[in-house]
Amino acid sequence: MAIVKMSKFSLFIMEEDKERLLEILQKFKYIHFVNLQDQQTFMPAATAETYGEETLTKLEEEIQKVSFSIQVLSKFAAKQTGLQRFKEGTETVDIDDLAKKAADVDFPKVYKIIRENVDKKERIDGEINQLTEQMTELEPWLPLDMSMESMTSWKNCAVLTGSVPKRFLSKVEQDLADDALSSCRVISEDDRYVYIIAMTHQTEAGRIQEILLRNGFTNIDLKFSGTPEEEMSSLTERIQNLQDERRKADIKIKEISRVLPGLELLYDYLFLIKTRVLAANNFLRTNRLNMIAGYLPLELTGKFSQVISKELGEHYYLNITEARENDPEVPVLLNNSKYFQPFESITKMYALPKYGEIDPTPLFSVFYWLFFGMMVGDAGYGLLLLIICYIILKVFNLSEKQRNFIQLFYFMSFSIILWGIVYGSFFGDLLSFPSFITPTEEYSLLLVLSMSIGVIHIFFALGIQGYMDLKKGNMFDAICNTGFWYMALGGGIFYLLSFFIPVLHTGKNISLAIMLAGMAGILVTGGRNSKSAGGKIAGGLYRLYGISGYVGDFVSYSRLMALGLASAFIAQAINLMVAMLSGLGFIGIILGIAVFIAGQGFNIFLSLLSSYVHNLRLTYVEFFGKFYEGGGKAFQVFRSQSKYINIK
Amino acid sequence: MNFAGIFTEYGGIFFGSLGVALAVLMSGIGSAKGLGLVGEAAAGLIIEEPEKFGKSLILQLIPGTQGLYGFVIGLLAINQLSVSMALSQGVYIFVSCLPIAFVGWKSAIFQGRVAAAGITILAKNEEQTTKGIVFAVMVETYALLAFVISLILLTSLSF
Repeated sequence: MAIVKMSKFSLFIMEEDKERLLEILQKFKYIHFVNLQDQQTFMPAATAETYGEETLTKLEEEIQKVSFSIQVLSKFAAKQTGLQRFKEGTETVDIDDLAKKAADVDFPKVYKIIRENVDKKERIDGEINQLTEQMTELEPWLPLDMSMESMTSWKNCAVLTGSVPKRFLSKVEQDLADDALSSCRVISEDDRYVYIIAMTHQTEAGRIQEILLRNGFTNIDLKFSGTPEEEMSSLTERIQNLQDERRKADIKIKEISRVLPGLELLYDYLFLIKTRVLAANNFLRTNRLNMIAGYLPLELTGKFSQVISKELGEHYYLNITEARENDPEVPVLLNNSKYFQPFESITKMYALPKYGEIDPTPLFSVFYWLFFGMMVGDAGYGLLLLIICYIILKVFNLSEKQRNFIQLFYFMSFSIILWGIVYGSFFGDLLSFPSFITPTEEYSLLLVLSMSIGVIHIFFALGIQGYMDLKKGNMFDAICNTGFWYMALGGGIFYLLSFFIPVLHTGKNISLAIMLAGMAGILVTGGRNSKSAGGKIAGGLYRLYGISGYVGDFVSYSRLMALGLASAFIAQAINLMVAMLSGLGFIGIILGIAVFIAGQGFNIFLSLLSSYVHNLRLTYVEFFGKFYEGGGKAFQVFRSQSKYINIK
Repeated sequence: MNFAGIFTEYGGIFFGSLGVALAVLMSGIGSAKGLGLVGEAAAGLIIEEPEKFGKSLILQLIPGTQGLYGFVIGLLAINQLSVSMALSQGVYIFVSCLPIAFVGWKSAIFQGRVAAAGITILAKNEEQTTKGIVFAVMVETYALLAFVISLILLTSLSF
């Protein structure tokens, strides 16, 4: 079915061929390696040491450098707007051209320029900081119009410069007032300090200093020769020069920023190489020989042996066998037609199927599609979604993941339109056209419809369980797991309905009998896998008790109706507000339009979000719960997760 | 007019409008609290990883639906109000509003807590965020059931 059939391979190659072969296999892509390191018994002579430790360190260093360069350059590269970036998407490069393209960039040279200029900028920033600090310190001395040189050159006169806390100023002035040989002048003041210059005769210097220090004086050495103003302008000039230099460094970096796409390509290329080196750690090896094991899709085995023999001539041994159905080690790769592919993400979010299990994707997707429309149920919303998704799919260059996501909503829009027509709803009650079901009035009909669809959904899920049992050849299991449940549930539903619908009245007793028979079957066979008699009885009782869970399951489908109703009512409430506003004249109409767009937009977003998740719940809990196990290992293609480009 | 007279004459509109107020009020408070819980958690995440804003917004929005259900029920109930309505009809409307009022209130808060925990998933393992959303939506089931019952109650009987 939709799980890709796998083959298991074992391959022996010579050590010297390894690197060449890995490169070839990476181009081949669909190879999943099995780690043989814990199976050394195969090859007792194998070494335990890890391969390529040195290469790996070097590679990582290189990746670090490239990543640093990208980070620096991306600040300078021409910015694309978000929309443009989406439109152009990521570049797709063929893996055969990748090595050549990556070599186009002279990375050592680029890195040298970037490193040099970044270091230079850092140094300049440090210096500018220092100079700015000096400027702040100089600020208070600006009113002083003497050059420092002249002050220090006096023979008999000592000069002290510094700051004193404001509240001590009067004390200082008082103390110095009776000293005939000294004088003190206030240069400037700020919030807390006054900056003073004190002059005195050489002989008095010590005493004066003592007086000052007693009053909280802090000495500030002014280490320059000119006047403070001259010093200030020289500092400003130096800062300006440094800023010029910084700009030059920026320009140099900007000049090479056009290599950015090349660097991004190089980054992804290096990661590809890293994957190769890491892959080799899965192999068992001696000094001369490597043993490789893994899986590949069955349909590619022919091509695989061809590639190997072409590359290695006769120096290899290859053994390919088809993977066993019930082997839990076999990795799982899904392959669905383009209509079901967008639903794969939903399966994967729950769990990948085991190899040999069934891929539930095509099975649930039809219901998912049907439910989605029912929960949104508005032709206008569907049409809008259809147009938006169509434009995105046509215009934008999306990655595969994004494409699948948009495609999913593109499909859903048809279901939404369909149900919108059934409900007779277009942006709520904006346009009125005849409806098949009017949800706001015939909700009880809708409720019955929801439950009925739920019954079909659950019966279908039980049927899949039966099919899988039959496929394994367990006729008895199929009867116990599916047949008895069909009898119990089907009989029960028919029996209940016969009370309300007179036509069914004749089948009342027969359906009751069928239900009881089914329940008895469940009771007797439910514990069949237990060994003890007690286990058998308890198991049967427990399974039978499970019938109460089905009641909950059926009720759960009422959300199909409830969400549809909620979105319909909210849309109508918005229209009601708009109608009220538009009665208020011109401004009212403008406001009405704004309310309509914002309100309906919000409702669309909310309905889509809740439909998406509530649908997930119905799928995961009600549907998958009946038959799906999951827990398969994902097939890891022999590539790396590329960040900037798509590698083909 | 004595108290009993006033009660029989205006009791209908009193209970009816009380029902409307409760439906909108309680579910609204619940939703606001739920949104607040998730918003706080999300704000912490955005400091480090602003690019996760979109996904965290989806998580934040989840407990918001209860308020909307209450609003819809309130709106439907308003349409049935009239000054001269009978006491029995007023009480009936009042009771019809109770399921969404109470379940909406509490479920929004609990859902908010689950969604806030979902923010942790978003922070540590972005790939699995949808699972956090599914967890939160599980709580919503009961708000939906209450909404359906309120709706059926409101519209199934005519006085």
